[in-house]
Amino acid sequence: MKNSILIGFMLLSFSVFGQVTVSGNISSENGEPILGANILEKGTLNGAVSDFDGNYTITVNENATLVFSYIGYVTQEVVVNGSSKIDITLLASNQQLDEVVVIGYGTVEKDKISSSISTVEGAELAKIVASNPAEALQGRAAGVQVLSSGGNPGASPQILIRGITTNNNSQPLIVIDGVLLPNGTSLNFLNPMDIENFQILKDASASAIYGSRASNGVVLITTKRGKEGKTTIDVDLSYGVQQLEKIEMAGADEYIQVMNLRRTNDGNQPLFDPLDFTADTDWWDETIENYAPIANANVRASGGSENIKYAGSVSFFDQQSNYTKGWYQKITGRFNVDFKISDKVSLKQDLSPRIERFENTPGSLFSILRIDPLTDVYLPQNEREGRNQFSIFAPSNNNVPNPVGGIARLFNETTFFGFFSNTQLDFKITPQLTFSSQIGLNITNDRTDIFRPQYFTTPNQQREINDIFRRSRQSLDYVLNNTLNYRNTFHEKHYVNLLVGVLYDSQNFNYVQAFRDGVPSNDNPDLRYLDAAVGDNIQVAGNEAEDNIFSGIFRAIYSYDNKYFLTSTVRVDQSSRFPEDNRTGIFPSTSFAWDIDSEDFFNSSLISNLRLKVGVGQVGNQNINRNGQFFSVGSGNYVFDGTRVVTNFLSQFGNPRLKWETVKDTNIGLEAAIFDNALTFSVEYYNKTSEDLLFNVELPNYTGIPGLVAQNVGSFESKGIDFQLGYNKQVGDFSIGLNLNLSTNESKAKDLAVGNEQLFGQKREDLGNRFIKITEEGGRVGLFYGFKTDGIFQSQTELNSHTSDDGTIIQPNAQVGDLRYEDLNGDGVINDDDLQTIGDPFADFYGGLTANFQYKNIDLSMQWYGTYGNDVFNYPSTFLYSGIQNVNVARGAVNTVWSPDNTGASFPRLTELDPNGNYLRPSDLFIEDASYLRLRNIQLGYNFKINGFQRCRLYISGQNLLTFTNYSGFDPEVAANSGNIINDFGVDYARNPVAKTYLLGLNLSL
Amino acid sequence: MKKTFLFIVIICTVGMNVNCSKEEFLDQPLRGRQQLDDFFSTPENAVLFVNGIYNKVNGESWFQANFPRQINEMATDDQWSGNTIQPRPDITGIAAYNVFAGSTYFNLFWENHYIGITRANISLERIPNVDIDDELKNRLIAEASFLRAFFYFDLVRSFGGVPIVTTYNELLEPEIRDKTRASVDEVYALIEEDLTKAISVLPLRSEYAASDLGRATKGAAQTLLAKVFLTRERWAEAQAMALNVVQSGEYTLEPEFENIYSVDNPHGVESIFEIQYINDPQFTDIGGQLSTTNGSRGDQGWGWGVPTSHLENAFLSEGDSIRLRSTIIKHGDPVYGDPDVTEFDGEPSENKSGRTNRKYYIPLAKRPEPYQRGQHPLSYIHLRYADVLLMHAEAAYFSNDENTAKSSLKLIRDRVELDTNMSLTGTALRDAIWKERRLELALEQHRLFDLRRQKVNGISRLATIMGENGSFVKYNTEESTDPFETTNLGEAQDKGILFDINVHLLWPIPPAEIQLSQGNITQNPGY
Repeated sequence: MKNSILIGFMLLSFSVFGQVTVSGNISSENGEPILGANILEKGTLNGAVSDFDGNYTITVNENATLVFSYIGYVTQEVVVNGSSKIDITLLASNQQLDEVVVIGYGTVEKDKISSSISTVEGAELAKIVASNPAEALQGRAAGVQVLSSGGNPGASPQILIRGITTNNNSQPLIVIDGVLLPNGTSLNFLNPMDIENFQILKDASASAIYGSRASNGVVLITTKRGKEGKTTIDVDLSYGVQQLEKIEMAGADEYIQVMNLRRTNDGNQPLFDPLDFTADTDWWDETIENYAPIANANVRASGGSENIKYAGSVSFFDQQSNYTKGWYQKITGRFNVDFKISDKVSLKQDLSPRIERFENTPGSLFSILRIDPLTDVYLPQNEREGRNQFSIFAPSNNNVPNPVGGIARLFNETTFFGFFSNTQLDFKITPQLTFSSQIGLNITNDRTDIFRPQYFTTPNQQREINDIFRRSRQSLDYVLNNTLNYRNTFHEKHYVNLLVGVLYDSQNFNYVQAFRDGVPSNDNPDLRYLDAAVGDNIQVAGNEAEDNIFSGIFRAIYSYDNKYFLTSTVRVDQSSRFPEDNRTGIFPSTSFAWDIDSEDFFNSSLISNLRLKVGVGQVGNQNINRNGQFFSVGSGNYVFDGTRVVTNFLSQFGNPRLKWETVKDTNIGLEAAIFDNALTFSVEYYNKTSEDLLFNVELPNYTGIPGLVAQNVGSFESKGIDFQLGYNKQVGDFSIGLNLNLSTNESKAKDLAVGNEQLFGQKREDLGNRFIKITEEGGRVGLFYGFKTDGIFQSQTELNSHTSDDGTIIQPNAQVGDLRYEDLNGDGVINDDDLQTIGDPFADFYGGLTANFQYKNIDLSMQWYGTYGNDVFNYPSTFLYSGIQNVNVARGAVNTVWSPDNTGASFPRLTELDPNGNYLRPSDLFIEDASYLRLRNIQLGYNFKINGFQRCRLYISGQNLLTFTNYSGFDPEVAANSGNIINDFGVDYARNPVAKTYLLGLNLSL
Repeated sequence: MKKTFLFIVIICTVGMNVNCSKEEFLDQPLRGRQQLDDFFSTPENAVLFVNGIYNKVNGESWFQANFPRQINEMATDDQWSGNTIQPRPDITGIAAYNVFAGSTYFNLFWENHYIGITRANISLERIPNVDIDDELKNRLIAEASFLRAFFYFDLVRSFGGVPIVTTYNELLEPEIRDKTRASVDEVYALIEEDLTKAISVLPLRSEYAASDLGRATKGAAQTLLAKVFLTRERWAEAQAMALNVVQSGEYTLEPEFENIYSVDNPHGVESIFEIQYINDPQFTDIGGQLSTTNGSRGDQGWGWGVPTSHLENAFLSEGDSIRLRSTIIKHGDPVYGDPDVTEFDGEPSENKSGRTNRKYYIPLAKRPEPYQRGQHPLSYIHLRYADVLLMHAEAAYFSNDENTAKSSLKLIRDRVELDTNMSLTGTALRDAIWKERRLELALEQHRLFDLRRQKVNGISRLATIMGENGSFVKYNTEESTDPFETTNLGEAQDKGILFDINVHLLWPIPPAEIQLSQGNITQNPGY
């Protein structure tokens, strides 16, 4: 900021004699004024920017040359020669020819790319106000799924590129300005306004240059850099509120009615007498605020001369949760500078410090839904005597923890400090040969503080001594890349671009944590530090780890006459994660593209671009327990003669044969543009097959092997089609831009090693200790597993006729109103042999539609996202209509369940004994189609003029305002909480849902 | 220009040097943990590794072994599952013989014991190669053998024939996945072999250094082997083995019954194999769990495993007030041995019988602050001298040595001031010995296996107690007037009515194990 002011002053001091004032208008070919075009006096820092009507004024030396430039248009130079008015018509550039794309360890002209890369521009991402830029990626690119992790402030969504080929973490590799981040790094730390674009490397021929870490795809993030010209200052401000849609639960009367029906239906006495209760607590209202604020402020300055260009920004983001606790704040700064040291040497230096803080958002929704409405929030005044502020909450009648008390006792804060530095030196040895050396550093420190107060509710719900915990973690990731790049064109038609490089990549991590009980005060926040604690219970822990990869890369790009394009890459990786003999992995790829429209025989005035591309490649995956190869010894305690002794034992069973998981990938695509590029179209088919699948295997327990063993167990296959359609048109004052993308994917377990033919996930104790997720050899991955139902028994006749072939009544314990289960093997009993797959959480297809409209000074943009054909395991429906364990039920549950008066109900009768086990086993009763279409974002902007500002824009925006779905749960966009998407995805655990957000924003350019 | 080039060269070389060498860069060791292959390098480490086997006798927390054994006790006439506010199919259901094979507790118990076996197998394989004096080496090996036998004995009594793994090296081979269940006889043969070895090497309790108090002794191995023989109905061998323990002179009966389970009496004169628990604020794996899991819900407990009125009646019918008051606490009554409690809160609305296990109860004045699970300083005794005497009596009876049987029985009854009818004979004597065993060892986790092995006319006694016509079921459904049990129906009064002798003399193999073994491990009949 200071720098930009300084440079501003410098600009003012350029007013010297012998000058003329030139003004004029800049327009496009069709006569539209161009707003924000750069006008620069050649060879100086003197510049101007065209205003809203395309007008500009600049004072220059009378002999100066003016340079007119605007993104997407051909730059023009005009000698002033004393004239005072120069109108310019800028010609649209054939963007494809000029655009340079970052492809990993270098750049290439966009048309030379023959692999599958999707680009999402930063300007598009910035339209969504969210803590994490990945959220804005949803629905933007074919083949890229963004899976929500719920609506907590600061939540990090998962990115999934082209399905699943690994049983482990499916997150792509994130590379920011060439620095590889550790697996699972959240993008929270990025300011969306700093992002020039995201490049998503989807197929192996694009990503193989990242070798062993690229099997889930690669996301390359490029940050904005300064451009030559006058300093521009952009200010973006937005403020809004987030709203949660209330979930209506039964009130006291309905709750009592349901609880009593559960008993009287079984022939037992009612549970509650309505006269005994006065409370009717609405726990949602007691815990959740209607509106929670969200605010964002961002200031950027950029500009520079031929020799020094810079771009700097500072941003502030603040998001509150809808609970009384829980917030997320971040402050990020970035300063990117490009130095041209000489004609041959240039240096880039990027610095980005950041601070993020958050208070954990309570995960209380489950308790809020389940606690009975007959319980008061607080104990009566006379019972609070002698109790501290954390102990005044009434214990519930149904054993569900009081959520107001739980929130009051939650003290959990995390602070991140991060520093990112990237230095790159380019040395042009000859005009064609460049040597580059890059050192990228990413340093983070995060600290978590947890205080747990002393409290007493009941003898079974109390903490006798308060305690304090702090964990401090540090990480240092660095890359050290040395590459040599040769590019040249021979005889005008032979384009060659070669790259060789040697790379070091290192990720270091350490932590220390401490715990002590006995903080002298329960209430004084100044004493919530380890130094204050005086208790006997002191726990400490600490360790460190390092993952290193040493690599060599080679890439050759060749094109002939801009018709044929060939790219081949090889990367050789050596990773510290594997035993020495299996350490080296070789990852080759090649791809080919053919520009059919450039052929002489091709003669169509309609089709302006037609391109076919094919790529094959191999990438790797090393995402497995870092120490998976080792047999380690753990320690514990035992007592002899009243004294503690140390014990040792095998704590991890290693695998000395552990090796890389590899993914072989084929990509075939067709791109076309018609009607003068107004309509663009691309379709790609891919097939990815993994081998030596890394998996943490659970051996039979009789082996006595503790925990899981890292093994290479088989092969997954992921295939699908990505489809993208774009339409851009300007008619008079009206312009329209549409982008539609659709993707299909099928991920299957192609082959699984002996003993691992069935991979299970998510064991649910309350559903009979059964796994509700299964991946079976030959089937699709991560399916739901359980019993199939066939409606509800409507009569005794139906019960009696539900028999096996030999006449055995299959469900002898069932009564009218209970679920009818399918006896899969026809043996006359319902048992574990009748388990089958009952749903698929992965969509048949998913897609997004982005629409931008502009009419004069009004702009409107919309972004839609939808999935089709995906099932969700609606876990709350295992209790919302049953009242199992006396938990509260959904409002209207009494009319949702089967009764003699409501025989069309989809949920079975109310019963406490549940002899049929309606709610004691996983079944398709809980599986629902969760296809949905959601208006992710809608934004209406108005551009206006204020003197002294280049640009002023006011906008209103709404996020998640509309959702169309048949799903009965709270949010069809269910959260996947960990990186293990196969086992986690698609089960709705009523995590804090995604909020509706209403925003007002202002963009100013100076 | 040259300068710049030089600068680049410097950056590159510095960069390379930072990483010293490629090998060092790529050889990332295991940090913060020792490795197994380097571990057995000193005698001290061999001792520490054998210590680790002991961890698995009761598990490190409440759920691995302590609580599954409590469920065994709940599946007898001595205990209800008890907690009526959180009835659970995997606890209450099992206790009622509506057995939920998928119960976490079967699975955890199985897993815990096999982890213990593998720890023993590693010790047995590695310790012979450690440079260490022979006496210590042999003792450590014998301790491991004893513990391995202990684990297999628990498993075979719970599940029947189980897969046998006796070495560590076989775990490294793919064939380990082909294991099937061994026969019951094969498992017992291994147990007997291990215990015989252990007996020949292990020191007597008095021969150990004081600091080793709590390690497996010759007496513990002999007691366990006596129990094995008794279970196998090898009466003469059982009698002889029990007599070995008696004649060792290492153990006597605790003069006061109430002191057997006492915070103040760890490793008392009667204790043969005991897991000692202490209170250490920093560690939650060396303190007791049962005072919480079995404590009254009105007394910071979870309320599982509560004594039945049927058990109380057994004491009363014998006029046995001394053991009754130190076995059962009743709601509203004072707690014997705790002057601070004059009216105990048994929380009968959440407790099937309003009763609580006195043996795991810690008097208020003896409770450390904070009073919490994993830190109770009350030890758990697996084998004690009274058990030896009663096994001796039972074995002698079945060896037709009634007088010996009666003299052992009398020792037990004398302590609690009960007369012994020395004219008893035949089945009356047998029943007296069995009843004595119930009263003496009540709630100490012997009952289920006793009822399974003790037979009347070749039929397991459990079948006479449970089932539609079982004495316990009849008592509860037809005779009982107990004010707590008959009014709190949160746990069904007809518990045990579903008992099926063709199924329920063994617990089910955990279904997860059947899945994980691809069906090589087969289920017990009826499950």
